[in-house]
Amino acid sequence: MSSAFIPLLLDSLASAALIFFAAVGLTLVFSVLKVLNVAHGSLYSIGGYLAASLSLFVASRGLNPYFSFVALLLSAALVAAVLGPLLEATLIRWVCGKSEAVQILATFGLFLILEDLQRIIFGVQSYYEDTPMRLMGTTTLGGVVYLNYQLVLIGVALAVIFGLRFLIRHTRLGRLMAAVVADREMAQSIGINTDRIFLLAFSLGVFLAALGGALSTPTSGIAPGLGADTMVLAFAVAAIGGLGQIEGAALASLIVGVARVTAVYVAPEFDAVAPYAAMLVVLLVRPYGLLGTMKIRKV
Amino acid sequence: MLGIVDLTVSIEGVRVLRNVGFELQDGKTTILIGRNGAGKTTTLRAIMGLVACDSGTIWLDGEHLEALPGYQRARLGIGYAPEDRRLIPDMSVEENMRLPMLALNLPKRETTDRLDEIYAMLPELHVMRARAAGSISGGQGKMVALGRALTVARKVLLLDEPFQGLAPALALEYARTLGQLRKHRPDLAILITESTPALLDRIADRTLQIERGEITDSSNHEVQTCISSSTVARETETIVSGSKSMRS
Repeated sequence: MSSAFIPLLLDSLASAALIFFAAVGLTLVFSVLKVLNVAHGSLYSIGGYLAASLSLFVASRGLNPYFSFVALLLSAALVAAVLGPLLEATLIRWVCGKSEAVQILATFGLFLILEDLQRIIFGVQSYYEDTPMRLMGTTTLGGVVYLNYQLVLIGVALAVIFGLRFLIRHTRLGRLMAAVVADREMAQSIGINTDRIFLLAFSLGVFLAALGGALSTPTSGIAPGLGADTMVLAFAVAAIGGLGQIEGAALASLIVGVARVTAVYVAPEFDAVAPYAAMLVVLLVRPYGLLGTMKIRKV
Repeated sequence: MLGIVDLTVSIEGVRVLRNVGFELQDGKTTILIGRNGAGKTTTLRAIMGLVACDSGTIWLDGEHLEALPGYQRARLGIGYAPEDRRLIPDMSVEENMRLPMLALNLPKRETTDRLDEIYAMLPELHVMRARAAGSISGGQGKMVALGRALTVARKVLLLDEPFQGLAPALALEYARTLGQLRKHRPDLAILITESTPALLDRIADRTLQIERGEITDSSNHEVQTCISSSTVARETETIVSGSKSMRS
């Protein structure tokens, strides 16, 4: 029993970790900027493509294979540093404060542009570069073989959860972000440069998405369409967790991860539907998500 | 000194302020009186850069404000307490008051000094400093909003209808606090908006009337002595208000 259960749990957690990176960025950007960025999944896949390309470069040059770990982190940082400010200062700032329909249409347009740019730059073939995964090796425990890389994924996801909590509760930037989330206009009148907070929060969201994409390549490779798949999953997670809730996103990632992996183990044909079935059940019981609260309109 | 010249503001195509102009002198308390919808709040919001101006200028000690981004006001020493308080409910009272100083990145020492100064003026804030801002009453919230505005109000303090919705006892308490504040901060220029001036007679140095977006009347209380009742005050205003120009 345990020999089947533990791999399932580990796979679920690793899958949840990857979904979490995408979803937490989406939900962070939504809570600070009040913009639902439909192109968020593309940032995940761009992070993946860049990480795979850099890792392949490291391998082709015969550099120390441990550089491929650096390549993963570097690619996420690079995507965040370049695309974060670039997108925020242009399209995202423009849609800020506009109606949801405009936001969704404009960022969907951005999604299409980013998807085609990826096809132009990285081609349509899939990339597979598993050096980081192989370097980590495996652990055999009770007759079951684990990928150590999966444990690392889970560890990084936990570090992101606690890191974000720490950022928001105990750092200056985090407190100012919380103030902007609570009341944008008040934040401005007490001296907070809201534009700067928007830029930093958006770039942080991009970093988390790109980090998820980068970390996913060693185990699952990358191919066109990943951006769209990720986006839909991230939406499901954000909806289950309650938009704008970091702990909610973590919990919801877990639910979606477990649903997906259980489906793969038990009934593989339902693999794609399982996350939405979970979403349906949660939203039927809690329409505003697990940790979401109903927004009362002020009169 | 803060000055406004020929300020015109429209909100969604409707002209809310028309050629508004006045000056706030250092060390003086000015009351802006008008009915609901007369443009009191918009005047304060325009000073804070929260609404765009069609035309006109706003300056503070010779520096033009209208071209600066809104968040710069706090840095320049303008504190603002909005009518609806706008506290962050899940932060403590003290955290709410610390936020403006955090935004300005003040040194720790300066932050504690300013908080101590405010606690000395408003001891009730010290009592409730650890409570969540969401758990205090509306009247207490007004006090916290005043405290928060004071953390950055080095030059100008803007209070939007501070007495609105206050129970009579709290309103008296608040008026007493404003008197205290004047003693502690003799140089501060204060602008208070109100729809009923009754409680403010004793602390007002100057009264402005605003009607349908225009300043219709201004009076200097220094020329009057011993005004005890607000009705008398209002009658006096009409007599005194010969000069409509506020740029003296």
